[in-house]
Amino acid sequence: MELLDKLAILSDAAKYDVACTSCGVDRQAVKGQLGATTAAGICHAFSADGRCVTLLKVLLSNACAYDCAYCVNRRGNDVPRATFTARELAELTIGFYRRNYIEGLFLSSGVLRNPDYTTEQMCEAIRILRDEYGFRGYIHAKAVPGTSEELLVRLGVLVDRMSLNIEFPSETSLKALAPQKAKEGIVRPMGFIRDGIKANYQDKRLSTVRRTRFVPAGQSTQMIIGASPETDHHILKLSAGLYQKFELARVFFSAYIPVNRDPLLPALSEAPLLREHRLYQADWLMRFYQFDVDEIIDAEHPMLDPLIDPKCGWALNHIDQFPAEINKVPYEMLLRIPGVGVRGAKRIAMARRERRLRFEDLKRLNITLKRAKYFITCNGAFAEGVLFDPVGIYNQLVADARGRRRKGVLDGQLSLFAEPEADMGAWGQAANVSPTWSAQALAAAGKSAVVPPEVAAQGARLLAAS
Amino acid sequence: MSVAFSYLYDGTLEGLLSAVFTAFQRRECPEDIVTEAGLQESLFVSYEPLSTDLEQAERVQAGIVNKLGPANYDNVKRVFLSDDQRKGGIILRYLQYTLRQGPHSCTHLANPVVHDFEEVLSVVSKEAHYMLQFVRFAQLEGGVFFSRIEPKASVVPLIMDHFAERFNVQPFMIHDARHQLTGVFDTQKWWLLDARELQLPEQTSSEDEFQSLWQCFFDTVAIQERRNPTCQRNFMPKRFWGNMCEQIPAQLRHRRPQTTTPTQAARQLLPA
Repeated sequence: MELLDKLAILSDAAKYDVACTSCGVDRQAVKGQLGATTAAGICHAFSADGRCVTLLKVLLSNACAYDCAYCVNRRGNDVPRATFTARELAELTIGFYRRNYIEGLFLSSGVLRNPDYTTEQMCEAIRILRDEYGFRGYIHAKAVPGTSEELLVRLGVLVDRMSLNIEFPSETSLKALAPQKAKEGIVRPMGFIRDGIKANYQDKRLSTVRRTRFVPAGQSTQMIIGASPETDHHILKLSAGLYQKFELARVFFSAYIPVNRDPLLPALSEAPLLREHRLYQADWLMRFYQFDVDEIIDAEHPMLDPLIDPKCGWALNHIDQFPAEINKVPYEMLLRIPGVGVRGAKRIAMARRERRLRFEDLKRLNITLKRAKYFITCNGAFAEGVLFDPVGIYNQLVADARGRRRKGVLDGQLSLFAEPEADMGAWGQAANVSPTWSAQALAAAGKSAVVPPEVAAQGARLLAAS
Repeated sequence: MSVAFSYLYDGTLEGLLSAVFTAFQRRECPEDIVTEAGLQESLFVSYEPLSTDLEQAERVQAGIVNKLGPANYDNVKRVFLSDDQRKGGIILRYLQYTLRQGPHSCTHLANPVVHDFEEVLSVVSKEAHYMLQFVRFAQLEGGVFFSRIEPKASVVPLIMDHFAERFNVQPFMIHDARHQLTGVFDTQKWWLLDARELQLPEQTSSEDEFQSLWQCFFDTVAIQERRNPTCQRNFMPKRFWGNMCEQIPAQLRHRRPQTTTPTQAARQLLPA
């Protein structure tokens, strides 16, 4: 098979893996060797779906012994299969890297025979890249669940980041949809890698000179959202636990995209991209905004509001803590103002040392007032035209977001005309996303006037039919 | 002083810094510091051409480094690389303010003078970062890797270190077609070349192959159900696409894969 065809197959087979980051480790260049890494990472392109391309993301092989219901590479699927030789993979990585196409390699693989054999093959391919080609760029490797600890060490000293996918937010779903994977096989290596990072495990077969740090950029994981019945509350509690217990660098979410027909899988009419986006927003609040998971979501309201972002949601539920006086409140509170990011909060904190800030000063600081204006005062006064009333603010925020969606100006990675998906509270509903839901939700929020008539008519028909 | 006046300088950093020196020495407040090329004659402004004095420039440089720190001198250099016509005046007013107030004043972001400076600085820094992301090298006969760019600011001097470090095993050139400036690296050191026209050898025969492979990867890695061109353009503005080989229209590509991908094969099995 030609290399071009192999690449088409093995990059297609790998593209459902979310993680494409090259951050977490600063490695200086060395004279005579190719490559270096920067802690912030560099995105080298953005594909047509708006996702960043920073690593050559491929499988070593998509011939897989497992039969996971959701996966395009499942054994039962009649799809083209291919396997890279270690040499091909190295040449490809180096060729791309020299042209500044990529920061490095993301290597995963279908399960060839068994986890240990697969990991051995991956180790060999990466070893060639590091040893024979002297490659100092970024490498992210997937650890196959169930791999022995000795092999995890061998892999861990070759790569920058390792990840094990927990695949689903609960053990029940994992059992049902990935029958050959077991929770133990995922969780135990995760704990092992965490300990390894702390203790800096080393491959004893290497001379001390050639030893490098064990998984210097930390480990990450990902789970599929919307293919199983877990709530946002469950998912966020779980990821908070993962950050805490396994000290993960990242937890990725991946909106379920149907590629297989399987009775165990829901028939979604479209990928739950908005839900994924809201979960990431909540994840950001935990990682960068000093929010505790219990502040963002609780068991009584187990789903994030699709119509407004979780920070706005939190602020409206804690309206007694607002308005925040820009010139007075501590930095921690600046971080909690909807529409103010980490950079913005820092800029405000810096600039207010010189002068009392007015609204026009905030504009000069590049603070977007679109959402923030409802929650702040400058020198005791609200921005012009702002009524401090939670219900009114909610409606206004919903209407603004809808207007943005109309214009096609979107934050995050929503598809152009994505409507908020169904209330995922119940499993049955999640499987039957109807486009009328958003119309109903908006009507409930008092904005029925903006519902397109054809959608409303369809909704009425469906309601009458039921 | 009743009549507005501006200084003229020769377009070099040293020239600009000597003009700043002159303004401090004479305790003057010129409207602007401009180059001959950027001059827009105005009836109400008189222009005074200044000569470049290396010693004066060095004294200003030392003053900035001593009083505001080396990072701030670096920022001044970055703003100088901008294409903004107002940069001379912006740098002068920034230095007048911060050198008087001390290093903490560099964080007075709501101050109009500091704000203008920071704004231009962020344009230049963003442009430099875009280049780290989107520069595409092609290998030429003889082994040199070549890249053509058209940035909004003259950022080649800012990005050469980055590439010279990670690509220290390959000679390369980055040609800024808009500012007629070329950075050259010979695997030992890098330097700048003022080049209006370049005589370049042909691309190597393997270059097409790598570009085809990269185009194939770039196309395949996008998930159809997540298509979002707005998001793509937000992160990767279209003005860069002309110099990026993966953005060549499909019909102009050398080679495309013959195989069906796993996703295409699996999709045929899905119910419509």
